[in-house]
Order: sequence, then structure tokens, then C-alpha cells
Amino acid sequence: MTENLIEVASVLAAAIAVGLGSIGPALGEGRAVAAAMDAIARQPEAAGTLSRTLFVGLAMIETMAIYALVIALLVLFANPFV
Amino acid sequence: MTIDWWTLGLQTVNVLILLWLLARFLFRPVAKIIAERQAAAHAALDEAEAAKVAAETARAEAEAAKQAVLSERAEKIAEVRKDAEVEKQRLMAELQAELDKARVQAKEDLARQSKAQEEALSEQAGVLAGDIAERLLARLPKEARIAGFIDGLVEAVGALPESTRTGIGLNGPVPLRAAQMPTEAEIAQLRDGLGKILGRAVEIEVTEAPELIAGLELDTATAIVRNHFRADLDRITAEVRKHD
Amino acid sequence: MDNPLSIEPLFHIGPVPITQPVVVTWAIMLALGVFSFVATRHLRIIPTKTQTVLELFVSTIEGQVRDVMNGDPKPYRALIGTIFLFILVANWSSLIPGIEPPTAHIETDAALALIVFVAILWFGIGTRGIKGYLATFAEPTWVMIPLNIVEQITRTFSLIVRLFGNVMSGVFVISIVLSLAGLFVPIPLMALDLLTGAVQAYIFAILATVFIGAAVAETPSPKPQEDISQ
Repeated sequence: MTENLIEVASVLAAAIAVGLGSIGPALGEGRAVAAAMDAIARQPEAAGTLSRTLFVGLAMIETMAIYALVIALLVLFANPFV
Repeated sequence: MTIDWWTLGLQTVNVLILLWLLARFLFRPVAKIIAERQAAAHAALDEAEAAKVAAETARAEAEAAKQAVLSERAEKIAEVRKDAEVEKQRLMAELQAELDKARVQAKEDLARQSKAQEEALSEQAGVLAGDIAERLLARLPKEARIAGFIDGLVEAVGALPESTRTGIGLNGPVPLRAAQMPTEAEIAQLRDGLGKILGRAVEIEVTEAPELIAGLELDTATAIVRNHFRADLDRITAEVRKHD
Repeated sequence: MDNPLSIEPLFHIGPVPITQPVVVTWAIMLALGVFSFVATRHLRIIPTKTQTVLELFVSTIEGQVRDVMNGDPKPYRALIGTIFLFILVANWSSLIPGIEPPTAHIETDAALALIVFVAILWFGIGTRGIKGYLATFAEPTWVMIPLNIVEQITRTFSLIVRLFGNVMSGVFVISIVLSLAGLFVPIPLMALDLLTGAVQAYIFAILATVFIGAAVAETPSPKPQEDISQ
């Protein structure tokens, strides 16, 4: 039962980690894309540079969500308490 | 979470080997060929620049040569023009001198001519005046042509110097020219007057000379005493000529 | 479902266990080595198509390095280019069925980050000398020394986890979707995985350049995020 409890708690922790951890990057990515759209609307000739920078920036922001995912996976598959 | 240290080590070595491989076979030769191409491009550019400079120099030389030819031509033209100018000046001067000479000569000729003409005119006028006077005098009575001049002649003889007066009438009769033959009374009057002046009686030999118009002329060896119109007219004519 | 965090050795050479990422890396090394050897064997002043692509690649890397570091890119060209090329090819090797990218395992990423870490130390000390390089940790004041040391370590870990998480999650998600619906459905996810792989390779290379540049440059090291978002 104790083992089961820990497993249940691990699954819950992983879900919460991914769910909460992706809120921030989602908001951040939304802001970044909005700002990029705004900039492209203002300066269409800079669209190439802007979108390239946007992709890199999105990847950087996404990394935060990936961190949460890594933690979740650690909890699921490399849990030291299991 | 376990880390396979063997894998980590192997991967590190692998990446390092790959790094060496790519540096050896990819990046170094490609960068070298890029640098070589750049060098070649630079060399070509330099060459082109040099060729351009050379062409520019050649063009400038050609330009200079052209300029030299042009300036030489201009110089020659100027020289020829100058010679022509000098020649022209010389000819002009000669012509001018000739013209001046001709003009001076013409002026002189003209002056001489006009002077001669004037002289001729004066002479003619004098002669004309003489003629007029002669004609006018011819209207005088014949007696007046002698009688009026006797006193004048006697006075003129009296005005002669003493030495000359004494010589009159010593060697024969005194020659007297008259406009016409004087009458006896006039001759006597002459003889009286002369005798009174000279202090002795003199003989008079009268010859007729119509060219005297009117008057008398005493013609001795030592003195000629003129008292007639011809002499007056001649004097007046000479006076008129002198004035011109 | 397989545990994506652990690997099993395929075989042993003597006492050394050889795992799947190592084998794939050998294959990649062989492919890249042979390709570059063949491609650069007959380089000409007048380039062929392949040579043009190679020159474009090299000069692009040089340009990026020059932009970030404001210096001669020659000493860093091979390192940055190799990191980028290896990560790119490794990420895209998942296209071949049955092959898992080596970068989906943390050992490969750790090896790459370790090399970058050593390179930072190497170039920093090589440019400034040991004293000069250590003095950069005291910038702007000596109070910052612990923070700078922690930053040095955490950014290396950040490099590891960023690359590992991205690639591994991509592989993980695709394997999950494959187990649910095998045909056609994973294709958009695989395309996204290709994009992520390329972007992550670029980010890893650029961050390595930024770190090395910060160690070499006169100014104190800026935060990597600031450099990227500019």
C-alpha cells in the first residue's frame, strides 16, 4: 500500500508539474508571438530576422516547459523512493 | 536517474574525434579555398586596378601628346600670323610713307602751282591795273602829261646828292625821255628849272618814249631820275607782288 | 513503455559496455568524416554545387561567430561548427527507423556540454591568463564571486537539460503517439521534431559561442537569455 501510495503520489506530482509548469511558458510564448506579430506588422521588411529570432526565443521559452517535463519524467521513471 | 559514465566518456571522446575529423577534412580546406578565392579575387581586382591605372596613364600620355601637338600647331600658327602681321605692318608703313611722300609732294606741287597761279594772277592783275591806269591816263590832255611832271623832276634832281648833281650835263646835253615831244615852252621851263637847281645852264636832248605814259625821265651817265607813270605803276605792281 | 532515461548496453568490448548512442555516434562520425573527406578532396577556385553549399555553411558559421564575439572567428570555427553539425545530424537521425538520436540520452548532451565547459576555460585562460580569467569572476564586485561560479555551473547544466529535454521529449511523444496510432498521425509531430532539432542545434551552438565570447571578451559575461532575445 505504501509503495502504491508513492506511485500514486508520483503520477500526481508529474501531472501537476507538467500542468503548472507549462502555464508560464505558454503565457510567455503568447506574449512573444504577439510582440513579434506587432513588430512584423510595423516593419514587414524585417519579417525574416524577426521570425528567426522569434523561433529561437520560443525554443528558449519552451525549454522551461521542457524542464517541467524532465522533472515529471524523473518522478515517473527515476523516482528514488520507488 | 542513472548516468552511464562509460557512455559519457565514450561520447566525449567521439565528439572530440569528430571535432578533429571535421576540422581536418571540412573546415580547414573549405576556409582555405575561400581565402584562396578571396586572394585570387583581390589579385584580379588589383590587376584590374593596375590595368585601369595603366590605361589611365596611357590615356593621359596620349592626351598630353595631343595637347603638345595642338600647342605646337597653335604656336606655329601664331608665329606665321606674327610674321604676316609684321610683314603687313612693314608694307603698311611703306605704303604709308609712300603715301605721305606723295601727299607732301602733291601738297608742295599744289602750293607751288597755286603760288605760280597767284603770281601769274598778280602779274596779270598788275598788268591789268597798269593797262587800266594807262587807259585812264590816256584820257588826260596831252599837255598835262608833261607839264605836271616838270616840277617833280626838278625837285627830284634837287634831292640828289651834290656829287651826282654836279656831274649832270657836263658831257654834252642831258638826255631826257618824255611821254611825247614837249612843246618849246615846256622845254624852256625844264631848262630854267634845271638851271636853277644845278646853278648852271644845261642843254637838253629830248627823245620821245610813249611807254612812259606820262611824265619824264632824266637819263644821265651818273644818275637816272624817273618821274613818270610807268615807274609808278611798276613800283605799285612790285609792291602788290611783294604783298602776296 | 521503455524508460527514456536509462540505456542498456548492446554489447561489451572487453570491460567497456557499448550502448546504442555510442554506436549511432560512430555511424554519424563515419558518415560525416567520409562525406567531408570526399567533398573536400577536389576543391576548386570555381566551386561545384557541393562546394558552394559547404562554403556557404562555413562562412555562415564564421559570420555568426563574428557577429556574436566581435572578433576573429578562426579559432572557434571548427568547435562551433562541429557542435552544430553533430547535434543537427544526431537530432535528425531519428528519421531513420529504429534509430534513437544520441542526443536523446543525457550522456551525449553531457559530453557536449563538458566540451563546451572545457572550451570556455581553455579560451578564457588562453586569452586572459589564469589570473585574468579568475578575475572575471569578481566582476562587477567580489560579492558576485559565488554567484558567478554558480552561474558557470548552472548554465552548463542548463545546456545539458535543454538539449536533452527537447530531443528526448520529442522522441518520447512520438513513441507514445506511435503506440496509439501507427499510421500518418505521428507525421506532424515528426516534422515539429525536425524543426525543434534544428533550432536546438542552433541554440546550443550560439550559446556555446556566447559563453566562449563572454570568457574571451573584455566586458563581463552577459546573461545568455539577453543575448538570444536581442
